[in-house]
Amino acid sequence: MFVLDPEIYRRYRDQVLALCNSFQRIGQRGFSDREIAERLGLEERVVTEIRCVAERDMYGLDEWQRAIEFKRRVSREWQAAALKRPDLKEPPKPPEP
Amino acid sequence: MLNAMSATTREEEIKAVGRRAGARVVGIAAASAFDAHAPEGHRPADMLPGAKAVVVAGGDGPTAGAWRCPDNRVMEITGYDLRENVAVHAMADHIEREWRHYAIQAPALPVHGHAPPMSMMLAAELAGLGTRSFAAHIILNPEYGLLYYAALITTLELAPDPPLDRPACPHPGCVAMYKRIGTTPCLRVCPACLSGRVSSEGRIEESTYNRERCHSRAQTYGIGSFQKALLDIVNEDDPAQRHAKIHGDFFTKSLQAIGFYRDSIAQCFECMRVCPVGRKYRKLE
Amino acid sequence: MAHLPEDARHRLRDVALKAGAVVCGVADAAAFEKHAPAGHRPADFLPGARAVIVVGGAAPRAGDWQASPWVLQTMGTTERIQGVGRRLAQYVEAEFGYYALYLPPGTESGSNPFVSLMLAAELAGLGSRSLAGPVLNREHGFLYWSAVATTAPLPVDGPEDEGACPAPACRQMWERERTTPCLSVCPIDGGGCLGGELVNGRPVRHSYDRDRCATRVHTHWIGGFQQVLEATLNEPDREKRKMMLYGDYFTRTLWALTYSSTNMAQCFECLRVCPAAHGLRPLE
Repeated sequence: MFVLDPEIYRRYRDQVLALCNSFQRIGQRGFSDREIAERLGLEERVVTEIRCVAERDMYGLDEWQRAIEFKRRVSREWQAAALKRPDLKEPPKPPEP
Repeated sequence: MLNAMSATTREEEIKAVGRRAGARVVGIAAASAFDAHAPEGHRPADMLPGAKAVVVAGGDGPTAGAWRCPDNRVMEITGYDLRENVAVHAMADHIEREWRHYAIQAPALPVHGHAPPMSMMLAAELAGLGTRSFAAHIILNPEYGLLYYAALITTLELAPDPPLDRPACPHPGCVAMYKRIGTTPCLRVCPACLSGRVSSEGRIEESTYNRERCHSRAQTYGIGSFQKALLDIVNEDDPAQRHAKIHGDFFTKSLQAIGFYRDSIAQCFECMRVCPVGRKYRKLE
Repeated sequence: MAHLPEDARHRLRDVALKAGAVVCGVADAAAFEKHAPAGHRPADFLPGARAVIVVGGAAPRAGDWQASPWVLQTMGTTERIQGVGRRLAQYVEAEFGYYALYLPPGTESGSNPFVSLMLAAELAGLGSRSLAGPVLNREHGFLYWSAVATTAPLPVDGPEDEGACPAPACRQMWERERTTPCLSVCPIDGGGCLGGELVNGRPVRHSYDRDRCATRVHTHWIGGFQQVLEATLNEPDREKRKMMLYGDYFTRTLWALTYSSTNMAQCFECLRVCPAAHGLRPLE
């Protein structure tokens, strides 16, 4: 089984993330694994591996918990207004990081 | 080319097949149009040698009733159905059977991390079905708003539809809002994932999208959460904590999502909930 | 009150083809006894089963075979034929009043099926085994199968006399080179899965490495998942554990599990080279 060397991952993670489609801008496409490999002088397979790990690694599980709370709060706020049901609204939360 | 038996062109005939099979909209893009926008390895001809056209089907998102549900969990597990894929299969079968040209469903599943083999968003844009928006760069159809897209690739030559010349986003209401308070509904509701600016001409001047954070929202329970939780479990030395993590709600929901993933591909709709494009279709009795 | 009309077979076929199958046949439930072990026969699942309705369809399109090899590996299966089986089971019960059981296509345990759908297809006269393994239909080639056991006393078909395999081109190749396209692309003696020969013009398969084939046809599937999980648990270095669980192989495996209906078959190389597997005339 191919297992990425953690040292290689640490060294190239930020560069791969910056070049791929993790942070997107309209009018400026991200690069493919092949294109990133050419730029960084790595094998394409290694870039794919770095990218896959980095995508998953970027945020911790606490971000998932924030996602759960965000969706619950925001959807209920909207429905409170749309359905005229102020009882649906949750108490205010601190602003998003 | 006209169908010999009627005045229907083959493009109209194929689109009609797609709409009958459940597509809300169908458009056609030239396969070569992808070359300017997609990297090598991710173009139609990379998938099907000799590809000439890409037929794109847009299917409805959640029902109007689903948008009214106060419990966001409902749309987490029912917000997606795959009817645009059914439409694509029907059209692909039709092309091979009636027109004797090769046709495949365009591969769209991101099998290597989050990178799709071929962009359905780009396909929808090039087929004139919508334009990118501030809201996670979702392709908005000017009439229906949020639609889900699937495509087929074929060696059959088809007259392409032109990309839209007028973008669906920003909506005039959003332009007005931006002028007043410097933000739009979607940018305001989800600054964690989105940022952007509206130009003085009322167009998107700049738009950024944090896909990985969005992933924690749009696919809260699924492959990603399973991997995160599994690593956490594997690294947990305390058996009692490990037990709590394995049997707790988060890991259980993650496993359920993996088992029934087709029903829960999209799990966050907050930027779309506040989007005015297509909203008239959500107002029923 | 159960009633089997004279045109029951015709009606079933009509329903099946309208629902998307390309072939429909009926096997005698009793015929399974000679070939299938106890516990894996239709009557083991539907007591009193007399017949097994078999439908085939949902094969990869001509375009899929032409496409980049990766396309078939990720999207080469569809569940569309299973829906036809389910529909037929409901039709039999609703229209004829006899019991009908849609035979599950998955595995009963490990890699063993409940009832072999390949055997069902053969006994229903819809195809015969190839050297490569899959049952090939003479007209349509490689198909996916679904089957319904029923107590309805339907007229049955029998196995076909002459199979699609070997194709004429394969016979010629055998005469010349003592091999065939499928055997030469995946030879068991060369690290592959298949071993066999043509004897008096008939395919005789003498060896098949099912477990190696599983690493190819189910590259990203339950087995791979279990392997990575075990490797991760045995890995003392936490950083390496992350590389394993977040890496491309495990991520891809999870995708395959979630989208199994489009992804269950992930190797088609023996059939890609098979002249009898494709059925359709070449397209443009």
